[in-house]
Amino acid sequence: MTGLRQIAFYGKGGIGKSTTSQNTLAALAEMGQKILIVGCDPKADSTRLILHAKAQDTILSLAASAGSVEDLELEDVMKMGYRDIRCVESGGPEPGVGCAGRGVITSINFLEEEGAYDGADYVSYDVLGDVVCGGFAMPIRENKAQEIYIVMSGEMMAMYAANNISKGILKYANSGGVRLGGLVCNERQTDKEYELAESLAKKLNSQLIHFVPRDNVVQHAELRRMTVLEYAPDSKQADEYRTLARKIHENVGKGTIPTPITMDELEDLLMEHGIMKQVDESIVGKTAAECAVA
Amino acid sequence: MDLTLDEVKARNAEVISEALSVYPEKTAKKRAKHLNVYEGDKPDCGVKSNIKSVPGVMTIRGCAYAGSKGVVWGPIKDMVHISHGPVGCGQYSWAARRNYYIGVTGVDTFVTMQFTSDFQEKDIVFGGDKKLDKIVDEIQRLFPLNHGITIQSECPIGLIGDDIEAVAKKKSKEYDGKTIVPVRCEGFRGVSQSLGHHIANDAVRDWVFEKGSDKAPLFESTPYDVAIIGDYNIGGDAWSSRILLEEMGLRVIAQWSGDGSLAELENTPKAKLNILHCYRSMNYISRYMEEKFGIPWVEYNFFGPSKVAESLRAIASHFDDRIKEGAERVIAKYKPLMDAVIAKYRPRLEGKKVMLYVGGLRPRHVIGAYEDLGMEVIGTGYEFGHNDDYQRTTHYVKDGTLIYDDVTGYEFERFVDRLQPDLVGSGIKEKYVFQKMGVPFRQMHSWDYSGPYHGYDGFAIFARDMDMAINNPVWGLTKAPWNAGQ
Amino acid sequence: MSQNPDKVLDHFTLFRSPEYVDMFENKKAFENAVPVADVQSAADWTKTREYRELNFAREALVVNPAKACQPLGAVFAALGFEGTLPFVHGSQGCVAYYRSHFSRHFKEPTSCVSSSMTEDAAVFGGLNNMVDGLANAYNLYKPKMIAVSTTCMAEVIGDDLNAFIKTAKDKGSVPAEFDVPFTHTPAFVGSHVTGYDNTMRSILEHFWDGKAGTEAPLVREVRDSINFIGGFDGYAVGNLREIKRLFTLMGVPHTILGDNSDVWDTPTDGRFRMYDGGTRLSDAAAAVHAKATISMQEFCTPKTLAYAAKKGHEVVAFNHPMGVAGTDRFLMEVARLTGRAIPEEITRERGRLVDAIADSSAHIHGKKFALYGDPDLTLGLTGFLLELGAEPVHILATNGTPEWQARVQALLDSSPFGRGCHAYPGRDLWHMRSLLFTEPVDFLIGNTYGKFLERDTGTPLIRIGFPIFDRHHHHRYPLWGYQGAMNALVKILDKIFDVTDADTMSPGKTDYSFDIIR
Repeated sequence: MTGLRQIAFYGKGGIGKSTTSQNTLAALAEMGQKILIVGCDPKADSTRLILHAKAQDTILSLAASAGSVEDLELEDVMKMGYRDIRCVESGGPEPGVGCAGRGVITSINFLEEEGAYDGADYVSYDVLGDVVCGGFAMPIRENKAQEIYIVMSGEMMAMYAANNISKGILKYANSGGVRLGGLVCNERQTDKEYELAESLAKKLNSQLIHFVPRDNVVQHAELRRMTVLEYAPDSKQADEYRTLARKIHENVGKGTIPTPITMDELEDLLMEHGIMKQVDESIVGKTAAECAVA
Repeated sequence: MDLTLDEVKARNAEVISEALSVYPEKTAKKRAKHLNVYEGDKPDCGVKSNIKSVPGVMTIRGCAYAGSKGVVWGPIKDMVHISHGPVGCGQYSWAARRNYYIGVTGVDTFVTMQFTSDFQEKDIVFGGDKKLDKIVDEIQRLFPLNHGITIQSECPIGLIGDDIEAVAKKKSKEYDGKTIVPVRCEGFRGVSQSLGHHIANDAVRDWVFEKGSDKAPLFESTPYDVAIIGDYNIGGDAWSSRILLEEMGLRVIAQWSGDGSLAELENTPKAKLNILHCYRSMNYISRYMEEKFGIPWVEYNFFGPSKVAESLRAIASHFDDRIKEGAERVIAKYKPLMDAVIAKYRPRLEGKKVMLYVGGLRPRHVIGAYEDLGMEVIGTGYEFGHNDDYQRTTHYVKDGTLIYDDVTGYEFERFVDRLQPDLVGSGIKEKYVFQKMGVPFRQMHSWDYSGPYHGYDGFAIFARDMDMAINNPVWGLTKAPWNAGQ
Repeated sequence: MSQNPDKVLDHFTLFRSPEYVDMFENKKAFENAVPVADVQSAADWTKTREYRELNFAREALVVNPAKACQPLGAVFAALGFEGTLPFVHGSQGCVAYYRSHFSRHFKEPTSCVSSSMTEDAAVFGGLNNMVDGLANAYNLYKPKMIAVSTTCMAEVIGDDLNAFIKTAKDKGSVPAEFDVPFTHTPAFVGSHVTGYDNTMRSILEHFWDGKAGTEAPLVREVRDSINFIGGFDGYAVGNLREIKRLFTLMGVPHTILGDNSDVWDTPTDGRFRMYDGGTRLSDAAAAVHAKATISMQEFCTPKTLAYAAKKGHEVVAFNHPMGVAGTDRFLMEVARLTGRAIPEEITRERGRLVDAIADSSAHIHGKKFALYGDPDLTLGLTGFLLELGAEPVHILATNGTPEWQARVQALLDSSPFGRGCHAYPGRDLWHMRSLLFTEPVDFLIGNTYGKFLERDTGTPLIRIGFPIFDRHHHHRYPLWGYQGAMNALVKILDKIFDVTDADTMSPGKTDYSFDIIR
């Protein structure tokens, strides 16, 4: 399995992580790479643009109806999509019940034992929000993803999540081989977004690997459950993803051990770029009404 | 060659420091707080207790599930206790604790059965509430004479966030207010079995007492109604206790929980006095009943004739002369038997030294019984005692006794090796270690498959068993004659 | 008062005395006890076909299963290696249970430690427990190897053993070169046999594949030796010694992988041996060079065998072979793999077994049996019973799979005595109870829990299986080999004769058949 690149996309929910990853992987496929996508989000929306499907049958739902994962065959769970990208979704419980993290462990163990990775050039894990528990850290354990790409934007919470994910990576970076490949900024058109993303990347001892501009063609493609690469291959946005794909492809072995920052440092960073004003300690914890009186 | 008291203390202190010397520094520091030589004038044993066990040291302790399912709830005979989670916990604790009961197993009683939800991976990932719901239906269908159901949580339940309380309420409603008790006794909670006892007590409070009952009382109250609390009827202990209480004129309206039933739990608020044997595992509910229903409680000790007599009188002191006379009558009745037992066994056991390591009560409670036989307890400790247990222990142990809390396999082996007792009383995990060393041993959790040991009838068995352990001819055979000099 | 200092009465007889019998009767008034007649009619109903249908319709509830959880098998496998301390990462109560369970069966000490994870570790992960736990275990118990497995708690929160052990080594808990193989053994997957398999594979992988990336993987050079794996086996003490004796007689160079025979059979001579016997670690490593690996229990070793096959070993799997034909197949395979002849001495043992069967089979022939246990044991026993002309009517394995069922069925189909017999995968002993009522048999074979079935259904129990808590020392006698089959034969015959005698000893009524010669 030498030569197999294992990467993972992490990022705060709603940041466009699945869209970014699928478009990028479609671009990698266009470059001739054989791709396997492993969706690790209970929402199971990591492969819909590749498969033109609403949601794929997941490993865990199929296992639940069959009895256990031992009763499944690889072909039951793996679907072929755009440019022969192979897709599997781990799946998981409804929000609020069970243990989605354990589901990720189960699914990845199953895929490895069934030889799902054979013949692939890339395995990409698309992982929900934050590294909330040991299960969601499964893709960054040793011998799993070598590089993590964090999808973020210039919004405070997205940056906060990016920093948190870096903490998770750091935990495993010393004992295992996982590295932070870089930040992917999905433009939200917030103030000084590019500079902010670049500064955060630097603070994290990483790079802003690409700044993906906002473009409505992404939404048009999504409505058709397609990647931009497939829907509008000649568009400028498609080229943006091709650039990101090329950068990731060339980024092999260049990941770093992240240096996550404290909450205070993060706030300082925002202030530095004028996003956040100097905190007036007197207003902390005051309601709007109270502030008006004062 | 008997050591003087000072020599004993010095040796015991040395034994402790020897044992500690092997640990990494951080661990030695922690363990040092759990080991001590008792100073006769102190109000406690000078050890810390009820603290997390150190990883990797081979603690003898179990978990909260063991404390709830294994100890408190499991013996309630007419309820079905579901070991909720993977198969193991229920399997290893299946019928292993010898909580005797009368009933037709599988029809109207269920103690020695293993009911499990046998969690599979999908139950972990998707949650087990739906499965639990179905399990209650299946229990109702196949075991219609059950009087209630408890849900004994294993580790995963709390980790995956199942809402067993909601399931319990829903199913209770579906089955006409049936008693269905969710118990949050996941094994990772607390530091030992002890928190499981507490959680189980609280579950009785919240799901049996607070639930209230509109059932007509089963009986007319009398001034002499008592409940036995904290006797698990191991080998029939509660029976050989109950018989004495009834002989002295009291009426036992409930047994908690050995050979107990849901009805008996519900009866208990009508008791005039709760008499508490295992303080550690059931003081919580006794205190609650004192506050809520104004029922006083008294601790008692039914090991050995001295303590039995003392306890019968203490219990009787809560009642009128009729009961006080009854106590004296019972003591007198059994005196010839006790004298005969002591006359037979004391000469064979006189002066023998004992080391104990048991759960939350017996490390102190059985000392009197040994002393009735002329034996001496030179070391003792609790698996899951708290500070109040160690305080109570001072009423039993002598100056210079070696005290070890949450002892590790390593320490216990070293201590026994150095103190060379004539008998060790502990559990199944320890039994064969010491027997290999040539030290006589009795299991003091399960009575080594014998019993009862409580009450006067029990003392005769206790004396016989200690004799058969210590004076077993096999201990003269452990050295091959050709190696005898070694 | 019934107690008597001269002849002390304990629970066996004490409670039959009138004062206690009265007491029990009076107690019922406080129990809300179900009226006796209602209990009787409910008890009778559980014996019906209708109840059986309801019972078999169960989808969620499991009652009296005949299986345990993965980590139990992990501890078993780990204890088969020299100086090895099993270390179970997770809640500590589990380890107390495994140790008790084994000690109750073998009547021997069982050493195993826990990382004692509590509520805080459930939230923050158990890394610190691993770091401290390995350091403590290493310093206190001076093992040669620590084999790590997990409880379901650590599995649900997703602790990463590989990363944790590396970190612990970095922090100096144990020396960097100290052997700490590890495997994840979630209790909610498979059963104890799965845990055995995972652990056995992880230990071999540790030695053969470069000790978790710290050394170069071993390069296999084929040698004239075979590996033997017994699997999870309550008779490991007797069985493995018997296998070693047979191999020695045949002159077969071999390595027993997971040799539990001495660790659970140490002498009482004044010394506690925490470690005794076990596969030498150097032998476990060198086992990569073997030409073949044999497993006595296929369903207990699928991953281990697949791994050995990947290394280039010829792998041969049996299903707990018992009896003449089973042992014949086993020995012939060994002979084929090693080129060694089966010596006359063994051939004579075979002849003695055949002799014994010929002498006694009239008493077994046509008798109906129900049996349950692990998948391989039940297959082995089924084969043996068919060979004896007995009918294995109900064959049940709670941890049996559809594949196991197919295998049993094939075996049944191969013999006229298997007609009308059935295999029940995934069922429990409460299902078996219904079967014994609706389709009764003459004898039941199973572990100690079978005594509840014996009580309820009156089917005499022959104790073969794990655990056996209420009979002593049987684990010291083999079931494998011709001599093992002889032991099993005698066990079965003794029960048959005891039952026959008990059934014919009524004076003046049935004792005409109370023969002194049978």
